[in-house]
Amino acid sequence: MITIDQVSKRRGSKQILTEVGFEARPGRVTGFLGPNGAGKSSTLRILLGLDRPDGGVALVAGRPFARLRRPLTTVGAVLDGGGAHRSRTGRGHLRWIAASNGLPRARVDEVLDLVGLTEAAGRRVGGYSLGMGRRLALAAALLGDPPVLVLDEPVNGLDPEGIRRLRVLLRDRAAAGGTVLLSSHLIGELAETVDDVVVIDRGRVVALGTLAEVTGAHRGLEDAFFALTSGTGPGTGHGGRP
Amino acid sequence: MRALRAELLKLSGIPSAWVAVVVGLVVPFAVAALNAGARSAGRAAGGSDPTGVDAGFQELAFGVIGVVVLGVAAASSEYFAEGGDSAGGRQITASLTAVPSRVRFLAAKAGALVLAAAALAVLSTAATLTVSRVVPGEFAAPLTSADAPRVLGVVAYWVLTALLAHGLTLLTRGGVVPLVVLILNTSVVSVTYLLTRVTPLANYLPDLAGARMFVRTFRSSVEIPPLAGGVVMAAWTLALFGVAAAVFLRRDA
Repeated sequence: MITIDQVSKRRGSKQILTEVGFEARPGRVTGFLGPNGAGKSSTLRILLGLDRPDGGVALVAGRPFARLRRPLTTVGAVLDGGGAHRSRTGRGHLRWIAASNGLPRARVDEVLDLVGLTEAAGRRVGGYSLGMGRRLALAAALLGDPPVLVLDEPVNGLDPEGIRRLRVLLRDRAAAGGTVLLSSHLIGELAETVDDVVVIDRGRVVALGTLAEVTGAHRGLEDAFFALTSGTGPGTGHGGRP
Repeated sequence: MRALRAELLKLSGIPSAWVAVVVGLVVPFAVAALNAGARSAGRAAGGSDPTGVDAGFQELAFGVIGVVVLGVAAASSEYFAEGGDSAGGRQITASLTAVPSRVRFLAAKAGALVLAAAALAVLSTAATLTVSRVVPGEFAAPLTSADAPRVLGVVAYWVLTALLAHGLTLLTRGGVVPLVVLILNTSVVSVTYLLTRVTPLANYLPDLAGARMFVRTFRSSVEIPPLAGGVVMAAWTLALFGVAAAVFLRRDA
């Protein structure tokens, strides 16, 4: 369970988040949708304790992320670059992460296999393609077999095969009772994967609810998205708080 | 403990850390070997150290650039990022999602750095002092038990310098400025030493005060006992690291 409650954030003179609030529930995949620069990454960075909000709280399993002792066993996260130093090998990157949370070494090879990186594991990350980097980041997120997954733009750079594998994996995690929150500006990719949708635009949540609720009378999620984020759409009329 | 183990693994996985090890081992050893050869060839030459009491120790004061590189690399590797859409990205993101307590993270990082710098200092001191005594043969000032505190002084100097470099790099979030400033000051032009010509207070700057822990002959009007020198340097380190930690704890990653 992820709870974002009234989170606000300024950067310089710019208000980048205004009282953002939503929940991501267990057993469901929640899509966090918005145009580039709408505040998706900022929200997720606050959720993961990387940035500090000016107001509001973000909780994972009822606690602030920064209070978790072995966070990887609770939350797996994939953020922007993934954070692998280019001089390290893929395996080396996963190994220190595993060590930091007291996870067994054998787990490193398991997740490498899971994301299909076993053969590239001994190569330096600097030589990885964008897609391989994303897969490595996903492997890191899965190291602790966490019940909660947070993924920022996970399909960026993935080939169609990779996208399909990710989709199956996320559906499986949710089916097993996991909480999955993923952000995307690619609406088409999201529509087939998510149960719930949160739409953010210019730092404010403009719609939230189940996929059907947010889609509403529109032909599809994509139409709803553009109606909601163009500034002329029905605004917060759809859905409502879960 | 888990976080410390992770930091040791991280440090051992970046090439610049190994460059640091090589520099820290080779530079003082090579310079000490050259100086020792010169000293035995023309003992009367005198110079700053006519008695040879600082043979090896002078070179170790210079070899500290090895741990400067180490301290800088340990911090700058967290912030290093190539262009926008790379597979990598800044490591600090991964670090703080794995160890979200920033206090724990900083403590583990400093701990790993202290261990690595101390180990490097011990190895380098052993090698450098050996070569500085073996090459001149009978001309060498023999090492006695009285030199044991000086060896400890070298280790302390290296560890504190590594922490200073680390703290500075945490503040700048990039390795270039601290590397240039610290290495230039240690090797090419000692700005801090030149400052002592302007004001005697400059003797209390961290590098000069700290070197008193093991260098015995100083061309300086100010007397600072070894222990006091160590305390002064430790105070500088604590202050800088404290500021760096305070900034790091508050700012967005």
